[in-house]
Amino acid sequence: MADPRLFRLRVTYSKSGRLAMLSHLEVARALERTVRRAGLPFAVTNGFSPHMRIAFGAALPVGVGGNAEFFDIFLTSYLAPKKALEALWNFSAPDLMPTACEYVEPSAAAASVACPVSTYEALLSASVGGLEIPDTVEVVRKKKRKVLEVREFLVGDVCVSGNSVVFTLQAKPTGSLRADIFLDACIDLLKTNGVAPNDLCIVSINRIAQNSSD
Amino acid sequence: MIKTNLWQRLQPLLRQIERPSRYIGSEWGAFEPRANSDFAFCMVYPDTYELGQPNQAIRILVNAVAKLENVASERAFLPAPDMACAMRKANIPMFSLESCAPLHEFDVVGITLPHELAATNVLEALDLAGIPLRAADRAEDDPIVIAGGPCAMNPEPYAPFFDAISIGEGEESVPEIVQTVRTLRRAGARRKDILRALVDIQSTYVPSLYRQLNEQDAQKQGAWVVPAEDGVPAQIVRRVFEGFAESDAWEPCVVPYVEAVHDRLNVEVLRGCARGCRFCQAGMMYRPVRERSADNIVSAVLRGLEQTGYDEVSLTSLSTTDHSQIEEILQRLNKACEGRGVRISVPSQRLDSFGVKMADLVAGQKKGGLTFAPEAGTQRLRDIINKNVTEDDLFCAIDAACAAGWRRCKLYFMIGLPGETDEDVLGITDLADRAYERMKEATPPEQRGALAMTVSVGVFVPKAQTPFQWDGQITCEEALRRVGLLRHSVRHRAVRISYHDPQASFVEAVMSRGGRNCADLVEAAWRHGACFDAWTELFNEGAWRQAAADTGIDPEQIAAAQYEPEYVMPWAHISAGVSTKYLQLERKRASKGETTPDCTYEKCTACGVCPATNTQNVLARARGAEGVM
Repeated sequence: MADPRLFRLRVTYSKSGRLAMLSHLEVARALERTVRRAGLPFAVTNGFSPHMRIAFGAALPVGVGGNAEFFDIFLTSYLAPKKALEALWNFSAPDLMPTACEYVEPSAAAASVACPVSTYEALLSASVGGLEIPDTVEVVRKKKRKVLEVREFLVGDVCVSGNSVVFTLQAKPTGSLRADIFLDACIDLLKTNGVAPNDLCIVSINRIAQNSSD
Repeated sequence: MIKTNLWQRLQPLLRQIERPSRYIGSEWGAFEPRANSDFAFCMVYPDTYELGQPNQAIRILVNAVAKLENVASERAFLPAPDMACAMRKANIPMFSLESCAPLHEFDVVGITLPHELAATNVLEALDLAGIPLRAADRAEDDPIVIAGGPCAMNPEPYAPFFDAISIGEGEESVPEIVQTVRTLRRAGARRKDILRALVDIQSTYVPSLYRQLNEQDAQKQGAWVVPAEDGVPAQIVRRVFEGFAESDAWEPCVVPYVEAVHDRLNVEVLRGCARGCRFCQAGMMYRPVRERSADNIVSAVLRGLEQTGYDEVSLTSLSTTDHSQIEEILQRLNKACEGRGVRISVPSQRLDSFGVKMADLVAGQKKGGLTFAPEAGTQRLRDIINKNVTEDDLFCAIDAACAAGWRRCKLYFMIGLPGETDEDVLGITDLADRAYERMKEATPPEQRGALAMTVSVGVFVPKAQTPFQWDGQITCEEALRRVGLLRHSVRHRAVRISYHDPQASFVEAVMSRGGRNCADLVEAAWRHGACFDAWTELFNEGAWRQAAADTGIDPEQIAAAQYEPEYVMPWAHISAGVSTKYLQLERKRASKGETTPDCTYEKCTACGVCPATNTQNVLARARGAEGVM
């Protein structure tokens, strides 16, 4: 809910290196602690369990890094974005480092749904001539099997160059296809067709851009 | 000295296993690898990161050793089964978090022994590290492997696995051990000479310098384990960190990424408890009572919150509500943290010091469940165990808690305590039922639906260095029968009975009371696949049964044997400072149902700790001036 007395600061950060191994919840906890250490004048919710007013962008899976991730922190007083960024720098781990701060309208779309279109770059353990895209990907979540239609999520082409793969996926209100699961399915298909070595695997995946669906 | 960095080999495994953030280190507050170190110490917690990282011993000792110049002081945790499997397959040994260096390259490896069910994990850690399991098999270049922690109060079942065992508080002794090993290694000393030198560090037990006696000789000589060389002390008395009360209560800590147990700022407000519950090892082994001052604690909490970014702080100790300045501390902290969304919690509420005022002071925000431990269901049995709380204490605490808004309550009891009859067992449910009715009365009718009470039942485990060390444990069958009594006698549906697996408590009792031959049992159990015994879903009863068959050791006898208080137990060469005479006296008082007061509220009870360790109680001010708050 938009509270006009609060200042909504959007912090862009990168998730990289070893900390690409963090889960979304772990990142959220770590960033909240960073905000506290940095001493930003954050707002606190009312109610029986008061907690920091902070909202996170679209989740990244464990093992996937991001160059331009973001979260919104609600402040009770105005702080120059540059000042806020400097304060955060001093209390951040190098692999989870804020890179920019700017104020956004209190009425802007929630951080978690603002940018449903994500572009990823992955590095594979070896060069491949090209990838074959499966029609469907089966995922198991909480012991439930679900079959996802790849074309519902995949936006544009998958670009392969040597061992680098770039692709774009769009999250839907009903669910999303995880980048690592999609890519693993592509690799499995190559292996099944006998056109990739058996030890081919993902070395790293990074979300390199996030956009709104317009 | 450490030289290898395993990160490149480790990294590919992290994509295949659960919760990889446990293995990456680089947390906020962790030490940077020391490039110029010439000596390396690693502190190991024998369980996974989530359980080990919040451990106080790891935090304190890593910090203490890091103060030595040019010594790398790092941490390591036992990988979860999936990771251990992947590491064995890839031939990657157990590693430290800071430098990602193999454990076997460290000069000194310290393993804390937090509870009796971690024994097989110790062997798993050593094996995964490629360090020979037994001290006798280690080569000159292998690390000096030391242990410490609560289970060092009876170190015998672990003795063959360690080069040295530090008895008691390690703030001073562990850096002394590290420094001694460093000096001697630098001078080219041989392993056996280093071990001989460690004996001279107060409270250090070097098992290889002692020999074993048979039962008959042990009873005659007063110890099962006696020096094999001149100049080796016959009894090792626990070390007490004398400067505790004055030392800074802010102990720098690592802020984990993974959600760990007790994932909050922990500030130790006092050490020791003199309530004198006769089953309680902690109550005997952390004496005397030493309180840090309110100024020290408040300052530590505020600095700690600022430096870690935590939103919750716990004021830890064995009995925080006994702190003579607890009211002032809570008032000052509540005020200082107002509006910051910070929660202040106090663990282990004592029934007789939890009143209306205390309920208000810790009730600031969110109310989880409150846990109280009456331990026994009847006053007769509570007197036997010297719990010194009454039914009225419980009811008053419940009234205060419900009035302050708590709706969930957990009561902790033990079954199988010495002298327990079926009447005492039924007393548990009777007390719980009446406590629940009391909760209902103290809660507005429209909120009564939210009321919940859990009765958590554990099986009594006889612990070394306590008045009940001579008492046997009831069998698993008997434990289940008594649990059955509880289940059938409880009247209210809202009162839920939960109990700990008696099989695990049985292994605890064996490890708690066993002598040196138990080490063979542990090793055999581990070889048969026992590991992570404290994890209910991984506890492998069959492995322990097979181990008993292999070694010819009768674990039932070890757990259940009942001795007279004159009998010499396998840990007689270790002293917590509390004299055996006092333990015997307390055991006899228990038989007569006589209670013993707390020396921090009343007069000295002559337990022997102060003279034996050359210390005394340190209170921030006189206790008990205000009664129940």
